[in-house]
Amino acid sequence: MRDLSFGSYFPAISFVHKMDARAKILIAVAYMVAVFLVTAFHFLGFGACLLFVLIATIAAKVPFKLVLKSIKTIIFFVVFSAVLQLFFNKSGTVVFWVITDVGLLNAGFIIARIILIVLGASLLTLTTSPVELADGIEGILYPLKWIKFPVHEFALIMSIALRFIPTLIDETDRIIKAQKARGADFESGNIFKRAKALIPVLIPLLISSFRRADELADAMDSRCYAGSKNRTKYKKMHFTLRDLLGVILVAGLIVGIVFLNNFYLLSELATIAGAL
Amino acid sequence: MEIIVKDLTFTYSKKTKSLAFRALSGVSLNVKEGEIFGIIGKTGSGKSTFVQHLNGLIKVQKDSGSIIIGDFDLTDKKCDYKLLRAKVGMMFQYPEHQLFAETVYDDVAFALKNFAPDLTEKEIESRVREAVTITGLNYDLIKEKSPFDLSGGQRRRVAIAGVLVAKPEILILDEPAAGLDPKGKREFLELLLRLKNDFVKTIIIVSHDMNLVAEYCTRAAVFMGGEILATGTPKEIFSDEMLIEKSGLDLPLTASLTEKFKVKGVAVDSDLTVDGFVESLCRALKGGKI
Ligand SMILES: Nc1ncnc2c1ncn2[C@@H]1O[C@H](COP(=O)(O)OP(=O)(O)O)[C@@H](O)[C@H]1O
Ligand SMILES: [Mg+2]
Repeated sequence: MRDLSFGSYFPAISFVHKMDARAKILIAVAYMVAVFLVTAFHFLGFGACLLFVLIATIAAKVPFKLVLKSIKTIIFFVVFSAVLQLFFNKSGTVVFWVITDVGLLNAGFIIARIILIVLGASLLTLTTSPVELADGIEGILYPLKWIKFPVHEFALIMSIALRFIPTLIDETDRIIKAQKARGADFESGNIFKRAKALIPVLIPLLISSFRRADELADAMDSRCYAGSKNRTKYKKMHFTLRDLLGVILVAGLIVGIVFLNNFYLLSELATIAGAL
Repeated sequence: MEIIVKDLTFTYSKKTKSLAFRALSGVSLNVKEGEIFGIIGKTGSGKSTFVQHLNGLIKVQKDSGSIIIGDFDLTDKKCDYKLLRAKVGMMFQYPEHQLFAETVYDDVAFALKNFAPDLTEKEIESRVREAVTITGLNYDLIKEKSPFDLSGGQRRRVAIAGVLVAKPEILILDEPAAGLDPKGKREFLELLLRLKNDFVKTIIIVSHDMNLVAEYCTRAAVFMGGEILATGTPKEIFSDEMLIEKSGLDLPLTASLTEKFKVKGVAVDSDLTVDGFVESLCRALKGGKI
């Protein structure tokens, strides 16, 4: 359970680790947009995205294996979406049994999309600690203060949630073991039976979460926590050249993909221009 | 049922080399039927990892030793873990955290319904009554209550009943007295003795309370860094100064008193239970000059 996998931080000192969390989040979002923008010349577009992740991984000094591991956690989802495309896409010509060429193409397309997005997301969480992540999101949402959005509180909720994920995993592990020791069976039976078997785990988990929330609230009160008013930060975030480089790279990626998407248009424009 | 553990080794996150952590190495241990066996050692020494092997919550890894409990061979792929867990009960730290049902009755009956689905409601009721009563609670007053409306001490008793109801032959307790006040601790020990006399056959108890170990355990094993440093009676363990130093264990009160008396020239040779200590102290003093 405690294995490092999707969504956990890999501590290291690297170019990417040192980047401003706000910049990293924005770059990650921009990268995902880029992945979704790929509609034509798939190989080139997806290839460029993959190259971007590779460069980022090397710059982050994160072992490739760890980044790849994130795929393992969503493999079921990937296979499921691909199978849907393979068997239920009826357009195009049949290549084999009920599988059409368009279905095949779409399946590959979807696999590439999901994997690229997960790679990017996991690289973000691998190189940015949960606290930085929450701080970064607070920084990005800061302008919303103008419309009275409780940015600080929102960020606090998020960082608390992130902080308690490992605790919750440990707790789940413990309760599952305790109920197994009492003969609970989570591995056999149909899907309804298994869902029902989870009740003895979920209820204690819920109750202990409430208890924890109470304790945490008391601890915060006793240290005079009073919301965002007059609060300063222990770590100030700075936008540096590093971040600029990252932004330029991802901007280049998006421009490149948009260019590819409009390549037909451009080439037609060029021929028209030539004809004139 | 006798427990025979041979050369048990266990590694967490074995598949990921960079994160692999060896929590047990070459642990061998025999526990005979009828013992109250203590497992002691510092936090992180592998005690919980070890006891969780004994009812199959952690499976024996490949080529990592063997565990045999009565007729169960835990290295065997066909081992029936459900049956094993009915025979080897396990109670964790803060057992009250595992309560979930709407009534005390339902929660206590949970294990029974899992292990013995063929029992009639009447048989279940009598078993639940028995288990709740032995923990010192009034069954008729409490059976319809929600476990979450009870006091902390009562909740823990209900949780204990929820393990006992399956009538395990071997009961494993992982730091069971944690978070109890002195009175609660005393009552808990009394309960433990009552169980030992007429409910379970063997008790294995993981504990940081050396007084408890000295008073009640027939034997104990000292864990350190995933290995067993020594196995023996409380007397053998607590009189081995090198061992105590190396493992960083506390001494039970009787053992530290024995040492203090030794410095004063009074040799007290007891089994380190309170009664045994007082007896042999009296003998030493009467026979001496005082
Ligand atoms: N699920 C787990 N994943 C990885 N390491 C673990 C896990 N559980 C325990 N450990 C490690 O194994 C060692 C032994 O733990 P444990 O058996 O709980 O010790 P004890 O019960 O003696 O305090 C500790 O160093 C602990 O950090
Ligand atoms: Mg432990």
